[in-house]
This record gives sequence, C-alpha cells and structure tokens, in this order.
Amino acid sequence: MTAARRKGLGPLVLIAPAAVLLGVFLVLPYLNIVVMSFRTPGQGTPYGPGFTTGNYTKFFADSFYLLQVANTLWIGLITTAICLVVGFPVAWQLARGAMRFRALAYGLVLSPLLVGIVIRSYGWTILLGNAGLINRTLTGMGLIDRPLPLMYNALGIVIALVHVFLPFMILPIMAAIQGVDPALESAARSLGASRFTAFRRIVLPLCTPGIQAGCILVFVLSLSAYVTPSLIGGLRVKTMAVTVVDALIDTFQWPWGSALALMLSVTGALCVVIFARLTRMKWKVARP
Amino acid sequence: MTEVSIERLTKTFGSARAVDCISIRIADGEFISLLGPSGCGKTTTLKMIAGFEEASEGAIRFDGKDVVNVPAEKRDIGMVFQNYALFPHMTVDQNLAFGLEMRKIAKPEMRERIAKVLDMVQLGGYSDRYPNQLSGGQQQRVALARALVIEPKILLLDEPLANLDAKLREEMRVFIRDLQRRVGITTVYVTHDQAEAMTMSDRVVVMFGGRIAQIGAPSDIYERPENLEVAQFVGQVNLVKGTITAAAGAGKSRVASVFGEVAVDSRTDHAPGATVTLSLRPEAIELKAAGQGGAQGKVTARYYSGSIIDYRIALDSGETLHVQTFPNIRIAEGDRVSVHAPADGFWLLGAAK
Repeated sequence: MTAARRKGLGPLVLIAPAAVLLGVFLVLPYLNIVVMSFRTPGQGTPYGPGFTTGNYTKFFADSFYLLQVANTLWIGLITTAICLVVGFPVAWQLARGAMRFRALAYGLVLSPLLVGIVIRSYGWTILLGNAGLINRTLTGMGLIDRPLPLMYNALGIVIALVHVFLPFMILPIMAAIQGVDPALESAARSLGASRFTAFRRIVLPLCTPGIQAGCILVFVLSLSAYVTPSLIGGLRVKTMAVTVVDALIDTFQWPWGSALALMLSVTGALCVVIFARLTRMKWKVARP
Repeated sequence: MTEVSIERLTKTFGSARAVDCISIRIADGEFISLLGPSGCGKTTTLKMIAGFEEASEGAIRFDGKDVVNVPAEKRDIGMVFQNYALFPHMTVDQNLAFGLEMRKIAKPEMRERIAKVLDMVQLGGYSDRYPNQLSGGQQQRVALARALVIEPKILLLDEPLANLDAKLREEMRVFIRDLQRRVGITTVYVTHDQAEAMTMSDRVVVMFGGRIAQIGAPSDIYERPENLEVAQFVGQVNLVKGTITAAAGAGKSRVASVFGEVAVDSRTDHAPGATVTLSLRPEAIELKAAGQGGAQGKVTARYYSGSIIDYRIALDSGETLHVQTFPNIRIAEGDRVSVHAPADGFWLLGAAK
C-alpha cells in the first residue's frame, strides 16, 4: 500500500518545487498585474481607490499607443525574419558541416550571450552612433556626406536584437536539422528531385518544429526586450517594453503601466497563436 | 533495361584510395553483389553509381553512356537504403507518389502504378499508413516499392537487410531475389554478409581495401576462391600446408599433405617442391571411427546447432581442423577419429595480391 501511495505521490513531489516557485513568483504577480490594471490612477500614490476600465479605454482611444504596439510587433517580426534568414544557413552548417568548422562556429554562435546586455548594447552604440565607427569610416572614405541614421531608430534596434537573439533561432533549428536523416535527401534525389526540391519537400517540413520554436523564441524575446531598445532606441523610438517601464517606474502609474503590459502580452500571445496555427504541421506522426 | 559498365573507377579521399581502379561489367537484368568487410569501398562504389559520390577517375556507363557527370536525380536509378530512408511525414502512398510526381506522371497512371507495386510487395492495404506505423520488414518493402514504382534503369540496394532480425532477413532475401527476377531489373546489391550475397546474386564481386579480389558466380567464389582472403571471407575454411610433388595437367597439381598425396584443382601453376596452402571447407571433411585410414586425431570440441554439428579436431600431426557434419553421426568430445578429405574438397590457394 505504501508503494502504491508513493507511486501516486512521486510525480507530485517532483514537480512541487517548480510549482511553488511558479505559483509564487509568476502566477501571483501576474494576477496582481491583472487586478492592478483595473485600478484607478493615484494622486501621489501608485494607485487610487476603487476599480475602473479607464486604463483600457485610454489605451484604445489613443492611436499613439496602438501605433506603439504595432511598432513593437513590427520590430519583433522583422527581427525574427532576419534571424531566420541569417540563422538557417548557420544552423545547417552546424548540423551538417565538417567537424572542424563546427566547434569554432558553435562558439561564435553562442558568443553574443557571453557578453553582458548593457556592455553589448554600448558596443553597438560605439559602432552605430553618428560619430560611431561605421559612420566615421564611411565619411572618412568619402562615401557619405552626412552620418547614416543607424541609431535612435528602429533599424538600430533591429540590428542589435538580431545580434543577441540569433542563438535562440540557430540552436533549435540546428537540433531539428540534426534530427533529419541525410539519407532522406539522398532518397529524394534518387527519386528524381533536385537538391532544392529535396530540401523544400523533405528537409524543410521535417525541421518545421525547430523553425517554429526558434521563431517563437526570438519573437517573444524581441517583444519583451527592454535594455537594448531603451539604449539604442533612445527617446525617439520606443517599444512597448520601454513605455511600460516608463509608466511603472518613471511616472509611477502602476494601473496604467499594468494595462499596457497586459496589452503587450495579449497581442504577443495572439501573434504566437496565429503563427503556430499557420505553420502547423499538416502531418501527424501517429503512434505505431 | 540496362547494362552497366564500370571502368577503372577510382575514388580518392585526400591521399586515401577508397575505391582503387575497379572495373565491372553488369549484364542487363543481372543481380550482382558487392561483398566485403566495412571500409572495402563497396558502399562508395554504390554511391558513385547512384551519383551521391563523385568519381575521382574512371567511367560509369549505363547502356554505353557515361553518367559520371549526370547528377543523381537524372540518372534514373531506384535506391534502397540501409535504414530505409522513408519520408516520415508522408504516408506510404505519398512516399511512392514522390518519384512519380518528380517525373510528372498523370494522376490516374500514378494511382495505377502505385497500386500495382504495392500489390507486388504485398502491402495492398497499407497505403494510408505512416512509416512509423509499419514493422521493419514492411518499411523495407515500402522502400523497395518506392524504388521500383518509378521503373528505374537500375536498382541499387545498400545493405537493405542489415537492420532486420535473422528470420526476417532470410525471408526478405528470397523475397527481393524473386521480385528482382520478376521485374528483370539490373541490380547492384551491397552487403557484408557472404550468405546474403551468395543466396541472392548471379555474380558476387568480393572487395578488399578498395580493390576487387574476385568476381564470379557464388559457387565459384566459394569453391574456387582467388586467394586466402577471399576464402576466409566467404565462409569457414581450414588451411592445410602441402608440398607440390608434380603438375597433374588441366589445372591440377599433385600435392602431398597430412591427408596423403592428392590431385588438387588450382588456378595457378606451381613448380614441384613449392610449399603451398590448400583450403579445405569444413563440410567437405568426413569423420570416421579411429583406425579407419586417413589422418588421425581427437575431438576437442563439439557444437550442436540443429541441422549441423561443428567439431574441432586436433590432428596428431599438430593441425587443428574445423569440421561440419550432419547430426546423424555419433562422435563425442574426446573421441579419437579418422579424418578423411576427398580430393575435390581441396583447393589450391593462390598468394594474396
């Protein structure tokens, strides 16, 4: 009987620490944010008495915030797309390339994660600024008269985000490609498919799960990125994460900040769901 | 149908010669096996025929036309892989349709050909299954069907039975052989299993270290091996030292050994007095009770395996013999025996090249 009880409780005991941790530090704060977003603004305090839907009506009434959400989604989308295009060939080489190349490339791929986020972003400032390395070099060579606007705009944010999130795209795709037997391509070619057709019809569908995972990771990380957009976007281009922090910390408007944070989460989640739906595998690997 | 001619084919990886100047002519409809230990170049040769590996030198001709520069997808081959390489995200039907789609075959004909070929491999009701819903043997038959449905010029098989269990492997040998005969397709089969090569093939190409050691019918390879290496690879063999006493004419030499003086078949001539090695297959030896002539010895071990019994015999002259007999003779471990070997059980081995 004790054995049976132990068997029943075993899994529960195992997940308990994680469950408690998640419950206390994730679910509760989240619920608190939801509640907070319906509170009234305070005078000199973080929030006032009573509840209201005013924060949301304010959000939807002001196209400024809707635009900012659109902007944030757009930056996330572009970052994801560039990461995919740049990352796939690298993932391919990592999965299928020669061993010698692999160890070096693996290190290079992970290198952005080894540098602190603030240092990394300042590094980009040095490169991308108006008096930065790139602009000075180009001006010095006489290729341009005025510095190119590489910073304090969406372009700069995207460049920096691609740099730091690339590993999150490459690693899942690499794992997926490693799971595809190279003999499948040979088989497809023996049946008359060109290299490209073999890739499109066989390899690509089989590594869809990895592509999906990579895209979702990069997209979600881009939406919630704070340090990079705030340092490189400056005051001119603000993503939602930056605005949320402004509201919560700088202007001390907890209800308004919470509502903004929730709107970002909801739209982000919606995008992910739509994306997952669109790229859903048409085949199910049925159990034998 | 197609005749394949491989001429001075060579593949080098850096300074290593994986395949070293091999030439094989494969007749239309012939079933030929490339047999050898791993690393002997048999798979590399197959890959070059398929077009997955570029030939460093030499020619591969399908009906006289050199295909060395033709990409794999234009060679019109059907290939079966060791791990089947079925597309896991496609049903059996879609797997079979793939090659036909590449050839832009019209839907109705496609349906017809798939149905016909599935019938041929006895998988009629399985067209909607995914590969992982099939057993190993069934997957193998789907792989075979997928290679055949495109009606290729030649069929290439790369150790297709290596992943199957022993019983199924034997069934599939017969199945593939029968199917190949019915379709009449020129076939190249790569294997390291000598029994597989011998039961299935019209001719066997034995390869060692990138070179061809011998090409011949299975019986030729087994009974008249070119050298020691071949003899040992294609089955159990006893090696008996002997001395040439005289040439006996017609490819025979008289050789004296512990079994007396016999006229032995050989492919090479030796001068009288030369020391030579004779091969003697375990099943060619006859055991009788002690004192009945022949070489005398003692049974040191006896292994019963149903259809045959394996004996180890220590001859009084010092040699150890491996003998296989039917289980109808009663000789126990420790018994003294007379060992008889008929003259046609011997083969005079040439030196390894």
